[in-house]
Amino acid sequence: MTEKKNKDQCLMDRRTFLKATGAGVVGAAVLGGFPFGSLSLDEAQAAAAKENETMVPTFCGMCGPAGICGVYAFTKNGRFTKVAGMKEAPSNMGSLCPKGQAAPQWVYSPDRLKYPLRRIGKKGEGKFEKITWDQAIQAIAENLKRQKEKYGPESLAVLSPARRTYADYMYRFLIAHGSPNYGHSGICVMQRAFAFHYTIGDWPQADYPDSELVLVWGRQPIYSGPSQESARGYVAAKTKKVKLISIKPSMEPDVALADMWVPIRPGTDAALALAMLHVVVNEDLIDKPFVEKWCYGYDQLKDHVQKYSPSWAEQVTGIPAKQITEVARLYATTKRAAIDVGNGVEHAPSCSDTIRAMAILIAITGHLDRPGGNLFGAAGKMPKPKSVHLRERYTQEWVDKLVYPEFPKPFQPFIEGTSSAYYGLFDSVLTEKPYPIRTIIAPGSQALASTRGSKRVAEALKKLEFYVVADVTRTADMAYADIVLPVATPYEIDHPFEVRGNWIMARNRVIEPLGEYKSMFEFFCDLGVKMGYGADFWNGSMEASMNDQLKPFGMTIDELRKHPTGIKYDPLPKTYENYESTFSKKSSRMAGGPYLPQKKVAIYNTYFKEAGYSPLPEWREPPESLTGTPELAGKYPLILSDYHTSNSFTAAWQRNVPYLREIQPNPTVHIHPDTASARGIKDGDWVRVESPHGWIKMKADFYPGIRPDTVMVLHGWWQGCKELGFEDMPLFDGGSNVNIMYNTDRSKAFDPLVTAMASQTLVQVSKI
Amino acid sequence: MSTEYGFSFDKDKCIQCYGCEVACKSWRNAELGVRWRRVHSVWSGRYPDVRNASASVACMHCADPACVKTCPVDALAKRPEDGVVVVDRNKCIGCKTCLKECPFGAPQFGADKKMQKCDMCSSELDLAKGLPPCVETCPTKALQLGKMDRTGKTSAEKTILSLIDRPRLGS
Repeated sequence: MTEKKNKDQCLMDRRTFLKATGAGVVGAAVLGGFPFGSLSLDEAQAAAAKENETMVPTFCGMCGPAGICGVYAFTKNGRFTKVAGMKEAPSNMGSLCPKGQAAPQWVYSPDRLKYPLRRIGKKGEGKFEKITWDQAIQAIAENLKRQKEKYGPESLAVLSPARRTYADYMYRFLIAHGSPNYGHSGICVMQRAFAFHYTIGDWPQADYPDSELVLVWGRQPIYSGPSQESARGYVAAKTKKVKLISIKPSMEPDVALADMWVPIRPGTDAALALAMLHVVVNEDLIDKPFVEKWCYGYDQLKDHVQKYSPSWAEQVTGIPAKQITEVARLYATTKRAAIDVGNGVEHAPSCSDTIRAMAILIAITGHLDRPGGNLFGAAGKMPKPKSVHLRERYTQEWVDKLVYPEFPKPFQPFIEGTSSAYYGLFDSVLTEKPYPIRTIIAPGSQALASTRGSKRVAEALKKLEFYVVADVTRTADMAYADIVLPVATPYEIDHPFEVRGNWIMARNRVIEPLGEYKSMFEFFCDLGVKMGYGADFWNGSMEASMNDQLKPFGMTIDELRKHPTGIKYDPLPKTYENYESTFSKKSSRMAGGPYLPQKKVAIYNTYFKEAGYSPLPEWREPPESLTGTPELAGKYPLILSDYHTSNSFTAAWQRNVPYLREIQPNPTVHIHPDTASARGIKDGDWVRVESPHGWIKMKADFYPGIRPDTVMVLHGWWQGCKELGFEDMPLFDGGSNVNIMYNTDRSKAFDPLVTAMASQTLVQVSKI
Repeated sequence: MSTEYGFSFDKDKCIQCYGCEVACKSWRNAELGVRWRRVHSVWSGRYPDVRNASASVACMHCADPACVKTCPVDALAKRPEDGVVVVDRNKCIGCKTCLKECPFGAPQFGADKKMQKCDMCSSELDLAKGLPPCVETCPTKALQLGKMDRTGKTSAEKTILSLIDRPRLGS
């Protein structure tokens, strides 16, 4: 059966090929015996045997949240040499992005940490001595026991890692210890999850396959998983002539494939969404029966949006009023239309209101959970692994003890558990309000390169009593660490198994660890045991942990490993208009009740009103902007923002990987050629980008596809690449770390509901 | 009618992920600084009516390769059996004449200063049975490889030339 499927696939792809290359192609046996485009298990085995190599089916380990692509990893004489995409993997279907292809260079990088370290110099000095893992775990455990006794368990915080499959283990450790302070916010995803859940009960996804029009809004469907469904689906939609309207400040590769580009000023998405509501409401482009039956507060919305006209929004967003009206009408009047909203809208003081406004837009125009619109999640036949989270232990006391709640306390815990704002943890160290965090564990998270306000974070790191860094390579803030732990790459470990959609597969070890490495999971397990929480940590056995989690599947990890490409389950048929069940879905918050107080779309949100927040979505200016702070625009006439992700690096990591660094060797600023020329700047010149909060040194990249009033950079620059002769860059003024450039005043820079921080400011750019 | 293998590229499917470029390096263990395959990003028009497109370019193994004709020491040859343009590195004197003549900028020069370039991975696999990693890794099948005749090859060359010949910046 499998063989036939491969053959059909092959034939189909060949037809596509013939079509693509036109009349010039001849001959039938174009592709010979190999299926087009990737390696299957048999082929990978054959390839390895031919070259006298070893082949291990496993997961790619090069990125965080998107992750979970299947790969065949090859080793020769014990050395990890190359990677091929796994054709059977439903996520990547055999393809791989450059990060995945460059994995061996990351594993063998001279920048890898080699053994556990203990600080012997001053904080920030970077002087360490080599210690053993036992000594490291002992030192951390002694410190945590002492602080727990003296200050309470809430004095410990753990930062949210970039690789999110770690997250539940960290929650488990925090809960076993007694702390609610999981540090997350202002980075990704939870802003959307929160605003969607509390407005329409779930986060519905754009139905690209059945849509006629998609607003691709602040979203990067390509860099967020280039080898996965999002990029494939986007290109498939283009091929099917789905109208793609892309809303973002610069023309990234996804915009290049779109039908219309709406170049918006960074941080002004709420203004656009509210103006679109203005058009839809005033032109009565709504689904009346749906609004009457399923929406709460439409009349209040009608009055509320009158101040947000397209001509008002033109001043704020820089988008012509005519285009705003056109986009609103197109979306509202196209029967099968969806909004694919991305992380680009999540870094602004009005980001939660942007997403609420979008959710309302989706609902009142009749595009919710209908074919081609935004769909609620569909279940599959696959059992769910037993969670390693210990959320059942939460009590109100947990919520009360949060040091700086990521979401307001009445809405805690949210779906991942209780959480404090990432930046807020560091802030508490300095303000000591309501109490100072005393130990922070950074498991694959670089505070100085990940969150805004690096200068203040550094001050906090100097004052923080105990800082633990656990990572694969050197990190931006490791000089401030008391203990540094060298973590194994995912290619050196055999856990955890991973689940994605309706697919489960075991992770297999490709090579033995190259140094004194433990996995992040082993670290938390070992620390748990040393702390006396052994019963909650399977007494330190990852195998026992995985077997425990696999109980609903009726199998052990060894049995799962017998399926080299994992097990796929069928999805359940998609049903539509699941309003009653979704709108009454029970919330995760301690107070209980549904996400939607009236079990209807919360256009007017009574929960938010009761908690002291605006019941309707509102516009808030970024802390510095052309319209909000015109007095600054003389000295700083350009808007600066940053890209969340790229094709070549994962956040602030992997600048040390030569094949990836060759794609983007230097930190660049995307600047319109006219904007640059007016300042005497030539393409490739080093320039000074200065905001009211600091300055960075970047290389000018003439970018015809960016708003002339805006410049953009990639975040996360600090690490050098030894093989290519690139040195580390300073973290503060004169370096290339964009996080020093922003305002971090809580009253201006934070979204009040989701504590996301603004990544917009005003700058001047000048030649160095 | 002679047939040969050739790359074809569809700009409407390329997402500029650079997977092809790095797969090439990783699988062929390329030395640093050498790019047998390169993804170009090309601009046209003027803001806000600006357009961006891409081209994934390696040696096109041209129907009528200029490099073969121009090489002063006959180090380059187009193989009759599969159309692959190959370089005999024992003969190459590193004069870079080929680079001057190549419309695709394909010839590369590493530490040994001798020409090196894409051989379609014909040295690594049987093209009748397998595909090079640059093609295999492409998430959207924008880059493909197959048998084509002379007309097809010329047309594939023109597609790439029309993309990379444009000035980088809008007029």
